[in-house]
Amino acid sequence: MYSERGAASGVSPNRVRALSRLLRAARLLLLYCGLVVGLLLFCVPTYYMVTTSFKDESEVFAIPIHWLPHVFRPDNYPAAFRVAPFGLYFVNSAFVALSVVLLTLFFCALCGYGLSKYQFPGRDIIFYFILSTMMIPFQVIIIPLYVLVYKLGWTNTYAGLIIPGSVSAFGVFLMRQFLITVPDELMDAARMDGAGEFAIFWRVVVPLLRPPLATLAILTFIGSWNDFLWPLLVVSKNKLFTLPLGMTVFTQPLRQPYWTYIMAVSTVATLPVLAVFVSLQRYFIQGVVLSGMKG
Amino acid sequence: MAIPASAGLNWAGRLQRSLYRDLVFRRSIYGVIFVVPALLFFLVFSLYPTINGFYLSLTEYSLLKPPRWVGFGNYAALPGDMLFRQALGVTVTFVFFSVVPKALISLLIALVFIADFRGREWFKAAYFTPVLLSGVVISLVWKLLADPRGLLNIVLAPFTHGRQLFWLADPHLSPALIIAVDNWAGIPFYMMVWIAGLVGIPREFYEAALIDGAGRVQAFFRITLPLLKPTALFVLVIASIGAFQAFTLQYVMTRGGPNNHTTTIALLVYQYAFNYYRMGAAAAVSVVMFIVIIALTIVQVRWIRSEETSYV
Repeated sequence: MYSERGAASGVSPNRVRALSRLLRAARLLLLYCGLVVGLLLFCVPTYYMVTTSFKDESEVFAIPIHWLPHVFRPDNYPAAFRVAPFGLYFVNSAFVALSVVLLTLFFCALCGYGLSKYQFPGRDIIFYFILSTMMIPFQVIIIPLYVLVYKLGWTNTYAGLIIPGSVSAFGVFLMRQFLITVPDELMDAARMDGAGEFAIFWRVVVPLLRPPLATLAILTFIGSWNDFLWPLLVVSKNKLFTLPLGMTVFTQPLRQPYWTYIMAVSTVATLPVLAVFVSLQRYFIQGVVLSGMKG
Repeated sequence: MAIPASAGLNWAGRLQRSLYRDLVFRRSIYGVIFVVPALLFFLVFSLYPTINGFYLSLTEYSLLKPPRWVGFGNYAALPGDMLFRQALGVTVTFVFFSVVPKALISLLIALVFIADFRGREWFKAAYFTPVLLSGVVISLVWKLLADPRGLLNIVLAPFTHGRQLFWLADPHLSPALIIAVDNWAGIPFYMMVWIAGLVGIPREFYEAALIDGAGRVQAFFRITLPLLKPTALFVLVIASIGAFQAFTLQYVMTRGGPNNHTTTIALLVYQYAFNYYRMGAAAAVSVVMFIVIIALTIVQVRWIRSEETSYV
């Protein structure tokens, strides 16, 4: 393209090539400048969270800014965990999130299997009903859901934290769509060998479902680990606080914020999600992209 | 008497068929057993609350006494309720400035990331990191950055002539800051969604367009945009539904303040229900929110569909 133009205007091809190389270099430079600006915007807050967690409290608002701690204070971590029982909150969060994940995986796989590989009257109506519950925004039913949990006597219990999140319509949908593409012969072969229906589910179907189950597990874990609104409503007793809920003790109006501690706990709260992200990056991004569908 | 051969066949066939039917029937019982737990769950924790929400919105209910029927009283009170009117305004502003920049900026970044360059995956992963943070962590980190002595004021000093801005205490700055933080946290997510959509467009389309003599800009408007319609719809609908329900940032960063300038509808529902124990009024606001969300979703679907016809 350039050589044609060059020939037409009588400029030597060598100079045109040099010019186009220069142009490409300039564009690349511009691209990387833009990328670095974006990198700073998206990463500095998180970076600042981690570095602040290792600073001395006197450094937090130092001018000029301390981009790295001048006094390295890893003991902020144990100290922060003494301010409030964050160890307990961490265990609560982990227990709730893992329970929600296990229940969701089991019931979604079971239901998705039942909906895709068995014939019975009303099957499709049930599927569309479950699908339609995805359309109801959580905030819209939060009051009646709270009233229900209150009447069941589940406020301030693990049941109240876990059970309302223990099946996901999106999960059922994911499992059913995956199983529809699986040939029936796989299950029939197991039937020939005399396996019971539940054994077929457990030994044949669940192993087949590994990829969508991984995606659903990641999604459910992060949703539950990071959830704030539902625990805020259901739990008012300290010993049942989850980590996000416990962290809001730092935001109570009349409290002097202790930023190094706040950032230490924030960092700890982010670590499990980071671990999942690093170890299962492929499933993670796929899951996050799909998760929007959950509404 | 001998049974005719055909009748015997028929009989055997019928037996076989009924055995088969029996087998299928017995098997289908398992299908029902597998589906019932999840079905019960959705009936109890989705359908029942949805219906009960409509009912509660027509009552006065404080949890302690049984609900008292008030008809449309809760709804009739809303237009005159200053808190509700203010929250509606706050929410509409928030939804607009949460959805539009988020969708556009994330699309721009996604367009950069579908090009080939060194270190692309590395940059993409780094851009993605805000998605790992929970709403509470995001709020706390930005509360630190937005402190009058904090990083935000230091970085912005050249533009503000070194004035100390009270981001979370100023009635104009605090909604703006929360919108900015919401964009910061949401753009990386939608960037990934756009990338997934862009990668799904077959390369042949662009090759064909190049052969036909289309430029890159033309290819973008004639090929990329129309084929991104499903992704665009997804982004708009999901982002608006999310924005309408915004709660955590507002709750943790400002508690809806100063002077309710960041009190969204979702926060108002929470306040009605758990500060004033007016479950009925809270449910009524939820129902209004539901109707607005559904209406907005329908408008967006229609809009994208009508655009589609004009392109083809």
